[in-house]
Amino acid sequence: MDKLVTLWEGSGLYNLELGQAVMMVVGLLLLYLAIYKKFEPLLLVPIGFGGILANIPEAGLAISALDQAIEVAKPAVLQQMAAALGANLDPLSNLDAWRESLKSLAHEGAAPDQVRAARDIAMNVGYGDGMLYSFYSVAIASGIAPLIIFMGVGAMTDFGPLLANPRTLFLGAAAQFGIFATLFGAVLLTSMGVMDFSLNQAAAIGIIGGADGPTSIYVSSVLAPELLGAIAVAAYAYMALVPLIQPPIMRLLTTQKEREIKMTQLRPVSKLEKVVFPLVLLILVALFLPDAAPLLGMFCFGNLMRECGVVERLSDTAQNALINIVTIILGLSVGSKLMAESFLSFETLGILGLGIVAFGIGTAAGVLMAKLMNLMSKMPINPLIGAAGVSAVPMAARVANKVGLEANPHNFLLMHAMGPNVAGVIGSAVAAGVMIKYLG
Amino acid sequence: MQDQELLQDGLALMALGMGVVFVFLTVLVISVTLMSKLIGRFQPVPVAVDSGKKASQPSAPSDQSDEVMAVICAAVHRYRTTRRR
Repeated sequence: MDKLVTLWEGSGLYNLELGQAVMMVVGLLLLYLAIYKKFEPLLLVPIGFGGILANIPEAGLAISALDQAIEVAKPAVLQQMAAALGANLDPLSNLDAWRESLKSLAHEGAAPDQVRAARDIAMNVGYGDGMLYSFYSVAIASGIAPLIIFMGVGAMTDFGPLLANPRTLFLGAAAQFGIFATLFGAVLLTSMGVMDFSLNQAAAIGIIGGADGPTSIYVSSVLAPELLGAIAVAAYAYMALVPLIQPPIMRLLTTQKEREIKMTQLRPVSKLEKVVFPLVLLILVALFLPDAAPLLGMFCFGNLMRECGVVERLSDTAQNALINIVTIILGLSVGSKLMAESFLSFETLGILGLGIVAFGIGTAAGVLMAKLMNLMSKMPINPLIGAAGVSAVPMAARVANKVGLEANPHNFLLMHAMGPNVAGVIGSAVAAGVMIKYLG
Repeated sequence: MQDQELLQDGLALMALGMGVVFVFLTVLVISVTLMSKLIGRFQPVPVAVDSGKKASQPSAPSDQSDEVMAVICAAVHRYRTTRRR
């Protein structure tokens, strides 16, 4: 009978907390959105599954060796760790109170070397880092996974349309207004006492408006790792929603006549220009904005591999096999941040709300900038392509094309919209660099 | 009071960020335009020579004089450079 009780007490059902159950439902919801609604399935499937794994009670897949030991170790081990952390455990209070106080001590009070000593004790007794925790520290805490994905994106990007009409870079710049307006919105909510975000957190939330998954993950891993789960989920979910979010805003801000504007054919771009472009960009980054160097450096590297034509194999690996492998690990790592205590809060709702505002403002700013440029330049510019300035390659460009076709069935804007689209990727990486410089 | 500071910081970061993004991309527009112009000016030379060589090799046995080839090359070159501009 005793054995049965032990087995029952060790089961998931016995230890399941309400928060964990809710998070598992959230994970299932993400899987549903990915599988049935086709929302960015390449990322939401691993993220959703990782979220479920991270919330399995007692398994501790997403926590470090130290946290795991604090949660399940025997009293003797707890006392050893308390000694290492420089604290005394009250012998009269019960085991749960010990665990509570050790936990708060390990995460806030103790000095780094004390935490390291306690961690060594936990490792010695046989506790190890959870699988997802290891994934997270290798892939995201080090910054490597988003950067490798960015390299793959670079290897997949064709800068031809941008080089043929470089002024479309301004559209990519204007659309980044969404990022900063949202940052200000988050700060405003804080000052009004509705939410509680620090400036770093506000910046990490704003970057959702860049509509660029790897950039969002990179920035939030640097500035606000505690919000990473919610930010990544919001970024990828809204990227999937671009075809729903953008068209109403685009129609609202343009007239039928403007939507019908035909643009002149793009000039052909020589191979040499395409090879030199990533190098020019890299030099400019090196000269003016070294903080954007990790993101844009990898991006330029990937693009150079694609365009130079002598490393087909590397370019092929970067845009297929490697990006797939890294996506799996990145998705699971993001999932590991979907733990109840950090995700189930009022702030998450705020992040989701602000994220969609960021997309809307970015789209509007791009369209308005395009209207302005159309007034000022001799070459006609269809304002719809401004909306493609929020990166989300190539979804946003397709949306611009689709809305353009609705207005005039013979007007193909896709190639014209690719220019601002890839400009948006550069723009959001630059914005990320500025924020990291200012706050990091 | 602290809120006021946070608000100011947010506003400053917004202005600075948008400013830097625009300045950087403006510089990029200028340098890309310059690059394209430069390449447009210099590239036709090697391309013309290349195509001339390729054309002359198979045509050498078929009794075409070098002089005619040179004239054609020059004409093609001139046509390409004027068209580039």
